Amino acid sequence: MSRFYIFIFRFLIFVFLQVFIFNQLEINPYVHIMVSPLYIMLLPFDLSVIRILFVSFFLGLCIDALSNTFGLHASALVFMAYLRPFVFRWFAPRDGYDTIKNPSIFDMGNKWFVFAFGSLLIFHHLWFFTMESFSISEILLILQKTIPSALLSFIVCVILQTLLLKKSK
Amino acid sequence: MTVPKSNYFTTASSFSGTLFEIEHSITKHFNLEENNRNLQLENIKLRAKVPSFLYELKKDSISVQDTIHQQQYYYIPATIINSTTTKRNNFFTLNAGKTQGISRGMGVFSSNGVVGIVHAASSHFSIVKSVLTSDINIDVMIEKNGAFGLLKWDGKNSNTGEISGITNDIKIPIGSNVISRGGSGIFPKGLRVGKVSAVRPIEGKSVWGIEIRFSEKYASLQNVYVINNLFRNEMLLLENKKGE
Repeated sequence: MSRFYIFIFRFLIFVFLQVFIFNQLEINPYVHIMVSPLYIMLLPFDLSVIRILFVSFFLGLCIDALSNTFGLHASALVFMAYLRPFVFRWFAPRDGYDTIKNPSIFDMGNKWFVFAFGSLLIFHHLWFFTMESFSISEILLILQKTIPSALLSFIVCVILQTLLLKKSK
Repeated sequence: MTVPKSNYFTTASSFSGTLFEIEHSITKHFNLEENNRNLQLENIKLRAKVPSFLYELKKDSISVQDTIHQQQYYYIPATIINSTTTKRNNFFTLNAGKTQGISRGMGVFSSNGVVGIVHAASSHFSIVKSVLTSDINIDVMIEKNGAFGLLKWDGKNSNTGEISGITNDIKIPIGSNVISRGGSGIFPKGLRVGKVSAVRPIEGKSVWGIEIRFSEKYASLQNVYVINNLFRNEMLLLENKKGE
């Protein structure tokens, strides 16, 4: 049960970080740091897909309500949550996942995290910026936004994990 | 993106509005000096224009008894408490709402230029669809020759915008002023928007691709005015009748 409260607490932290810090941090139009995918990434391995979808929709809706994006974050997070099991299966270790462990950089190792989270983050950002522009003619702008944003988000997410998490025993 | 008509789950709700009010109380002094200077400049300009009001100016009590001129526009002061400028579609949250007389569709401007159009209003807050959105389509014109088009934003730089729809038989000198046209009754005619910075021909089309530099710096903007056009309903009613 304590795990449940940890995730509720973490939920609030991520909404706060995204809305009041990273959304206000406007470096230039090409960089939009999003840390909310990390929350979805860190959900336990044994949580069912339906629940993950609901959690990500609710997280996205909370962020949307506070940043005037009308469902953009919700749709991108749900899309990412939908892809999460496929990506996890693709990068699964030889003897499967240990449900005691967390899908974090400490438990699963650098290489696994870079591939799994990196690809999910790129899908998430690509979907987010495509939906934001909602026009094929701006495909160049979408890519120009996706690549630097995803890179920076990834770095920030790695730093965040070192601040928030410990290696589970 | 065509912005949904939903007014729920926006920062105009009282819960998030209050949160951003708190945030604003922390961050509002970050650009204080620049904002004060702008307001001061505007005050000087206004005082120079109306010498007879010089000693009578009282806060929020400016009404003119005039039998020749009837008051058409009513201005409501407001402060931006949350804003973005680097997203594809940028919305500003104001700390004034329906109780101050703000409703959907009113224009918003600042001392340096046009800001946007009110998208939704709750009782104490409202959100403004700013000039920095993909389909804001405010009708603007070149001050000198009266050529008019629609204001667009390409999503790259919060200092530059575009005007579409000006045909290339009209000469557009670089550096000419761009002002609001007042065609849709949202803004009065003659509000500053910016200056033309580049004019390019578009291949295969008979219109110019005009780039303008906004006169307002939206990234540090705080003090704005909401315009209530008292004759707008009358104008829309008349125009709709004509169309039938």
